[in-house]
Amino acid sequence: MRRMSMFPNADHTQTAFTEDAIWNEMQNEQQNLLEELAALSTRDRIQAIRDLPMSFKEKKHIRKELELQSSKKSRQFTCLADCSEKLSLFSRKCGYHVKSAKQTLKLWQGAMKSIGGKFGTSVLTYFVFLKWLLMFNIFSFLVNFGFVTIPLLVYKQTPNISQIVNNVPQNVTFRGLEILTGAGYFKYTVMYYGSYSNESLVGYNMQLAYFFTIAVYMVLCGISLIFSMAVNFKNNYVLADSASNSAWQLLCTWDFSVTNEKAVKQRRNNLCVQLKESLSETAQQERLSVSEKLKHYGINFGCWLLSTSLAFGCAASIYYLCKYEIEATKNDNWSLLEEAKTLLVPFVVSLINLVIPLFYSLFNKFEHYSTHRKQIYVLLIRNVFLKMSILSVLCYYWMNKVPAKGSGWESMVGQSLYRLVLFDFLFLMLGSFFGEFLSKWTKLIPRMGVPEFDVARNVLELIYSQTLAWIGIYFSPLLPAMQIFKFFILFYLKKVSLTHNCQPPRRSGRAAQMQTIFIFLLFFPFFVGALSIVAYTAWSLTPSKSCGPFRGLNNSFSAVDVWIDDLKNITGSQWVVEIYNNVIRSEIFYFLITLIILVIIYILWQVTNGRKELIRRLRQQIVNEGKDKSFLLERLQDLQKSIPNKSMKQHSYDHSSGDQSNSNAMVQALLARQQLEEEEKRYSIGGVPVPSEMSNSSSLMQAMLARQLADQENEDQYPMHDENPSSSSTLAQAMAARNRVEDEDNNQYDIFNRSSAVTQAMQARRRAEDTEDDMGDLPHPVSSVMMQVMQARQQAQEDDRIQWMTAPPQNPGPSGSSALIQAMLARQAAQNEYDDGY
Amino acid sequence: MGNKQTIFTAQQLDAYQDCTYFTRKEILRLFYRYRDLAPQLVPLDYTNHPDVKLPYELIGSMPELKDNPFRQRIAEVFSEDGEGNMTLDDFLDMFSVLSEMAPRDLKAYYAFKIYDFNNDDFICKSDLEKTLNKLTRNELTEDEVRMVCEKVIDEADLDNDGRLSLEDFQHMIVRAPDFLSTFHIRI
Repeated sequence: MRRMSMFPNADHTQTAFTEDAIWNEMQNEQQNLLEELAALSTRDRIQAIRDLPMSFKEKKHIRKELELQSSKKSRQFTCLADCSEKLSLFSRKCGYHVKSAKQTLKLWQGAMKSIGGKFGTSVLTYFVFLKWLLMFNIFSFLVNFGFVTIPLLVYKQTPNISQIVNNVPQNVTFRGLEILTGAGYFKYTVMYYGSYSNESLVGYNMQLAYFFTIAVYMVLCGISLIFSMAVNFKNNYVLADSASNSAWQLLCTWDFSVTNEKAVKQRRNNLCVQLKESLSETAQQERLSVSEKLKHYGINFGCWLLSTSLAFGCAASIYYLCKYEIEATKNDNWSLLEEAKTLLVPFVVSLINLVIPLFYSLFNKFEHYSTHRKQIYVLLIRNVFLKMSILSVLCYYWMNKVPAKGSGWESMVGQSLYRLVLFDFLFLMLGSFFGEFLSKWTKLIPRMGVPEFDVARNVLELIYSQTLAWIGIYFSPLLPAMQIFKFFILFYLKKVSLTHNCQPPRRSGRAAQMQTIFIFLLFFPFFVGALSIVAYTAWSLTPSKSCGPFRGLNNSFSAVDVWIDDLKNITGSQWVVEIYNNVIRSEIFYFLITLIILVIIYILWQVTNGRKELIRRLRQQIVNEGKDKSFLLERLQDLQKSIPNKSMKQHSYDHSSGDQSNSNAMVQALLARQQLEEEEKRYSIGGVPVPSEMSNSSSLMQAMLARQLADQENEDQYPMHDENPSSSSTLAQAMAARNRVEDEDNNQYDIFNRSSAVTQAMQARRRAEDTEDDMGDLPHPVSSVMMQVMQARQQAQEDDRIQWMTAPPQNPGPSGSSALIQAMLARQAAQNEYDDGY
Repeated sequence: MGNKQTIFTAQQLDAYQDCTYFTRKEILRLFYRYRDLAPQLVPLDYTNHPDVKLPYELIGSMPELKDNPFRQRIAEVFSEDGEGNMTLDDFLDMFSVLSEMAPRDLKAYYAFKIYDFNNDDFICKSDLEKTLNKLTRNELTEDEVRMVCEKVIDEADLDNDGRLSLEDFQHMIVRAPDFLSTFHIRI
């Protein structure tokens, strides 16, 4: 529902006459609005009031009116209505309280504001993303800690059990290096899979708790990712198009949240550069010769080859390093040196993650892409590929080589993940120190200037570390705690580094779309990858024989089998067993589900295609209407020029209206309007609220309308007088239709100007034509445009002659104008028909 | 709580909450921001609807608006007198539209008004030139300004009338998802 201010262009209305008309119009409109709002539920009504584009005063007024109405209503009914009113008021108040409570809980609001103020929305997306991931981890930590760790800790505290549970052995002491390696002492704490018990603790089945906590967490993560991805796609991608670049740059890119003077200046410069570039872009495209194009392709190909081989090389080197690590740490009790050797792999992995993307950015400088967006996407794809290949090698190693080492392998994987997460954190700190702090202080490469904050690279780093946490959730349930700590520090680190050392990115880019891509990346290769690793571990790998919650089982999932077997003996829970056997374990079920989903996808896809077609057609229609409008306007302007001599002509042989013809078109319109109103009273024909503006063209419109009414009247007075039945009856229909348009089209607000008047006339005419077709009582219009115009002109001229004979003083409009307008309307009708023909 | 009651009555607060996107707390925070602009002018008691108007010079000096190239237009559009002098209601209205919660259509409507410098309900070439000059501080040559304006109209003007109507503008906004996040002033 769209509705504009009730006082549009209040300063344009000068005469009492038009003020009256507008006042009536406004009253009508307000009444309609109130009725519309009263029909809504309380909650929707408030939302609708908020969404009205009006000032606070007007909103308050409407709110008051509505309250009056509803109180009148509730007086009529019993206390039931009163009760429901009170209830809704109460729930509304509760809603407000919840909202304000939520606001107090919002983290980092001030920091976000200052970052947005200095660096704009595109940099802010990084911090929003960081915060979002932090929330994921807090949730994950709470779930894991609450359902898995606390029961274990409580169980361990029970005195007669505490001896049996494998606590830290006597010979293992805390040596300090554990903080880096996560091995040794930590191995015996609740940090890792290995130290969780498999027993049922006083009715609390540890196996099931462990399995279901992780499964539910992963599923919830997946759902929330899919949900936010879908919302983002809907808002940012579906309708977005890159065609309107300049308009977008000029009218949509200015960041109102930027409040810093320096940033504002920089944005201005950047915008200038971008506009200049976009102006010269088209010329540049044409100038490229074949050899230059070949050169560009060659460089692109070379860069792709180089970056891909770099990624492969890194993956291979990590594989061999992992092999070396296995050799080096064969025995169980590690010396300090052996423990330190385990740090090699995470060190190298993090180093690669820090250095190789820099190389990639360097390649990117040599390459040539037509748009900046393409450049960013290419960089993104290469980095994702690098990270994916590293992670897949590591996962292969964890899934295939480590389990062969025997008991406690899950804890070992957990330890290596711990090390990776920790080193990733250290290197992120180092990276921002060297990359951002140092280059600022020493000005090592003055040519490069102040470093820009690379949102894409930084977000990818976040995605990578979150993937590590997801993979690690099975092996080390408390890894999210580390992740929370890491993200928390990272937020402040990046904020400080940003405000002290970086300049905002030169190109603002389309931040909203980038954010969608980030969420998509987080979901598609990374989350899905982590999920499949965890699922593979749970379904296919044999858990350790001597430690962990799943000891003694073939795989983790058989914990559920065992549970179902137990349930069989308990009466009353047979249905769970049935469901398990017939639904979860049956292939048919999954087959059917897949089939149904495929069918739904196909249907929705078709619907989408249909909508696309509809959008295309609607757009075409807008363009067509624009053409009509401009045609009509042109005609009206022509008319304006020809008015003076027309009225002179009229004066020469129309003596009865001599006093009128001297006055200008405006006065004529006013008189016409008055006559109209008188006639309305006499014949009680539905009134036409005519929007007026003191411009010539709109007065012409009025003249036309008045004439139409006069025609109608003619018909009423002389029903047998049918020399031109089609013309006058069409006009009568047009009038009626116009009334209908006025009454029905509540959504349409009136901009009181000529074009809207013209459009309305056009609409009315269209409707008239439609009814004409439906009734079929008139000769079907010939489909040729020219023929129509000719006919209309002839009719109009005949009509004019009759008019002068019957009611000359009531004919305020210049005769030529009505003919032309009719011609225009006829053209419109013909166009309509032409469109309908398709 | 006692402190809150002296500034606004419960009915006033309800009305503010129903007509803006703010919570009680934010409304009070905005009131204090408003009052801080001129503590000697704005009373601490709003229960009897005092007729207080802050001049544009004070509104435009807020840190949120100070460096915004459109600050004068924003103040004009949202002020009741059209000259940038704001009552508390206008002030709340302005930040409500510029808040995160406001829907796209509402934002687009006011953005359109802001860019429509001559208040003729169309963004015409002169409006675009003004916008461009405000955004680039006259750094483009006349030719470039003309070319950019032509291009903008060419791209966004669907009905070919040589200027952008509200519908054209809204149509463009729908396809520019960033608008929601950029037409936003955090308070």
